[in-house]
Amino acid sequence: MVREPMDLLQGTLDVLVLRTLAWEPMHGYAVSRSIHQRTDGVLEIEDAPLYKALHRLERAGFVAAEWGVSENKRRARYYSLTNAGRRQLKAEETAWRQYAEAVFKVLEST
Amino acid sequence: MIWGRLFRLPWRTSQQIKRDVDEELRFHLDMRVEALAALGMAPDAARARALREFGDLEDARRYIGAVDRDIEAAQRRNDYMRDLLQDLGYAVRKLRAAPAFTLAAIATLALGIGANTAIFSIVHGVLLRAPAFPQADHLVRVRYSQQGHPDVSTPMDIVDNRTHATKFVGFSILEGMTANLVRDGADAERVPAIRVGANFFSLLRVAPLAGRFFTDGEDQAGAPKVAVISEALWRRDFGASPSVVGKTVRINSAPFTIIGVVARDNGYPFSSELWVPKVFSPDELNDQSRGARWLSMLARVRDDVDVSVADKDIEQVSALMETKFPEIFRERRAHLSTVQEYTVGDVRKPLLIMLGAVAFVLLIACANVANLLLVRATARESEMAVRTALGAGRGRLVRQLMTESVLLSLCGAAVGLAIAKIGMTELLSRAPQSVLLMTRATIDATTLGVTALIAVVTGLAFGMLPALQVARNDLTSALRAGAGGVRSKPSANRTKRLIVVGEIALAVTLLTGAGLLLHSFTKLLSVDPGFKPEGALSLKLSLPPRTYGSTRTRNFVAELESRTRALPGVRLVGLSNMIPLDGSSYGFTFVIRGRPPMRSSDEPAAEVRVVNPDFFNAMGTPVLLGRAITIADRPGAAEGIVINKAFATRFFPNENPLDQAITLAWGEDSVPVVRPIIGVVADMRGNALAEAPDPTVYLSMAQHPMPGLSIVVRTERDPASLVGGLRSIVRDLDHEVPVYSVQTMSERVASSLGRERFFATLIAVFAAVALVLSAVGLYGVIAYAVTQRTRELGVRVALGASGSRISRMVIGEGVVLTGAGLVVGIAGAASVSKLLSTFLFGVSSMDAVTLVGVIGTLSLVAVLASWLPARRAARVDPLAAMRGD
Repeated sequence: MVREPMDLLQGTLDVLVLRTLAWEPMHGYAVSRSIHQRTDGVLEIEDAPLYKALHRLERAGFVAAEWGVSENKRRARYYSLTNAGRRQLKAEETAWRQYAEAVFKVLEST
Repeated sequence: MIWGRLFRLPWRTSQQIKRDVDEELRFHLDMRVEALAALGMAPDAARARALREFGDLEDARRYIGAVDRDIEAAQRRNDYMRDLLQDLGYAVRKLRAAPAFTLAAIATLALGIGANTAIFSIVHGVLLRAPAFPQADHLVRVRYSQQGHPDVSTPMDIVDNRTHATKFVGFSILEGMTANLVRDGADAERVPAIRVGANFFSLLRVAPLAGRFFTDGEDQAGAPKVAVISEALWRRDFGASPSVVGKTVRINSAPFTIIGVVARDNGYPFSSELWVPKVFSPDELNDQSRGARWLSMLARVRDDVDVSVADKDIEQVSALMETKFPEIFRERRAHLSTVQEYTVGDVRKPLLIMLGAVAFVLLIACANVANLLLVRATARESEMAVRTALGAGRGRLVRQLMTESVLLSLCGAAVGLAIAKIGMTELLSRAPQSVLLMTRATIDATTLGVTALIAVVTGLAFGMLPALQVARNDLTSALRAGAGGVRSKPSANRTKRLIVVGEIALAVTLLTGAGLLLHSFTKLLSVDPGFKPEGALSLKLSLPPRTYGSTRTRNFVAELESRTRALPGVRLVGLSNMIPLDGSSYGFTFVIRGRPPMRSSDEPAAEVRVVNPDFFNAMGTPVLLGRAITIADRPGAAEGIVINKAFATRFFPNENPLDQAITLAWGEDSVPVVRPIIGVVADMRGNALAEAPDPTVYLSMAQHPMPGLSIVVRTERDPASLVGGLRSIVRDLDHEVPVYSVQTMSERVASSLGRERFFATLIAVFAAVALVLSAVGLYGVIAYAVTQRTRELGVRVALGASGSRISRMVIGEGVVLTGAGLVVGIAGAASVSKLLSTFLFGVSSMDAVTLVGVIGTLSLVAVLASWLPARRAARVDPLAAMRGD
């Protein structure tokens, strides 16, 4: 098994990927563009960690991958959220909201 | 993988994974470059930008590949499990659909595996598992032999060994004793006991369960009398109370303090229940005492020394002693055997032979089940063909069949374990002493593991043939033949026949072995023991020499004799210091009057027995010449002796023994008494029925009272009815003297054959099972051949063949198979029976009676097994047969 230390970015990236796939199954390039657009490029996420996250999530059973045909008729690997992934997304979302609220409370208390 | 869950994705090699990763990443980069180009960027710049945005491409490639390989491996594990579960479910359904086949196969395998587990558990417990002492392989017995005969130790041996041997931690003597144990408020009890050196338990390297063991100096004269008891004795007599330490008991009428308790399995010898220090008197430890030998010796080899090296060391010491005392130690040598070898010595080889025999039974069981499966496989050809047509690969089908086989044999093993459990209890209740001494034979984790292994290997072994046959199957012909039954190929029938021939050959080998041992056993049973066992009761008692001087002993004996004679139903009361068939020896050298003197190591030796006037009559042993001991041979009268026939033939082949006299090198003969021979009696078997009688000398008990007594009472009644009366007579005479070894003489004869009976019964049971199994196998093959040939037989009947002609044809087939098996089997038996030759008595390993018996039995069984199907064949209705299935 290949493991990397969990850090904030990786955790964040996992949530973003899961959230993106929640709308519909898509290939890696689409996930990348979608996150890029929705964050207005603020997070400047590179594609390498994104792909690592996709495969890591597949190994964890949160996403499933399947070869399909892209909009320009090329073979592409499509990712979709599994039931376990949906549950994970819900849990991570809750955790993120609590985290964000706590940070805001500190920032706004001045 | 939404769909991947529904049906299996093809497995990917790591090469394919690498290609997939490359393709995914290339797709991404191409898409990005296209998108940037669409915004008007030059291709090179677009490519550079896409790569920059991507980050560390190579790192990602490596990482993703590794993760994907993990995913793939998990997927494979999943698939295996799912297939296995699927196969298992399918196998269970298939086996339940054919209950007769399943039960037959499981029963056969259970017999084979159960018998193997039982025997292996005993072999494991007795031969393989070391005794519970630390470094038990360095704990040895020192065994002496002189001029090729086994010898025992003299007290000085231990002094010599301690002085000259260098490879040992230490030595301790072992002196077996009869202990009359008396504790307050209870009847005297006879317990197996042993005298040892003070260092004994430190040689064993065991810790006491309670209290302490002997300390230095406790085996010296004048030390307080102390004793160590076994855990069994502690629980039986003292309720496992910790306060037993410090308690005083009387052992052979002397007070002893119990100082410690030995845990179960930690005591040695394994049968001992009581240990006391051996105190030598000074006159036992000098150069003049070397002729007197009655001791055994235990030693521990140093941890850093190999036992074989220590063996050389001790042998050199004995060689050195020969040079110092050439007269008495001529050709006397010491050798070592580990305590385990020493204990199991006489059962080791027979046990291993039994293990081999039981493996034969398992092989036959496997062969039977393989044949059953082959028949089934033929019947299932169309099923397999359909499954192949539906896309199941051959490997998959073979795996399916193997799953069924292993499942069958695991079921067989489960039932077999129950059989083994019962079998073990039965076996151990009949086992000879030396097996029982190592009573740690149980079904434990190791034997369970071995059983499971046997089951799996068995399943694979008998499942292999049918599975291979399926793998060779031709799909189209099988389908074309339809569901009505496929004609099996000649090659499959040949396999079945070969298997049956093999089975019969194995059975022949086993039957020959069993026949030899049984024949030898009946020969033993017909050996004349030299006395009349029927209607005689015997028991032993032992007077403590400390409180019984010769006068008191003489009075005790006289009183015991007259009171016993007064018991109702008693005809004769014989007394002796030893009872025949006891395996004990009391031998002394002697000098024949008028013959030239010899060096002491060359002097002839004889067993010495001390008897009362009625002893020979009570035993039913005839006097051949002269007279028996009579009341005239009282103290003060001339000390005449009676000899046995073996003595007379050995030493006086041409003289009249009644003209001869000898001087015994016996305790009381230290002032040499010339003893005239007054009579010759018939030989009694002293050690074992299989052993030629030793030359024996009988002295008058009135002249030589001995503390150890055996009583033989001849009665018209049931001998067992006298036990109560005898016990109370002895209790009245001295309540501290317990009676032990109470047996009718017939029981003694029977138990002296315990080992022979045990192994003969065991192998007979195996041979019977083998015979039944191979008969069933033969029946199965012939019966199947008949059903397959129904049409052909119908044609023959229609063409005028009579019913008896048809049955002769079918039986002929069985006889041919059996004949082939017999030829192979007898060839095998010839080599196997050589192994048995040392266990045979009066029977050669190519015993004609046995061979004829085996051939006869098998031919009979073969005719019977083929007769049933032959009858069916003879009744074939030609019309029905030809009309079709």
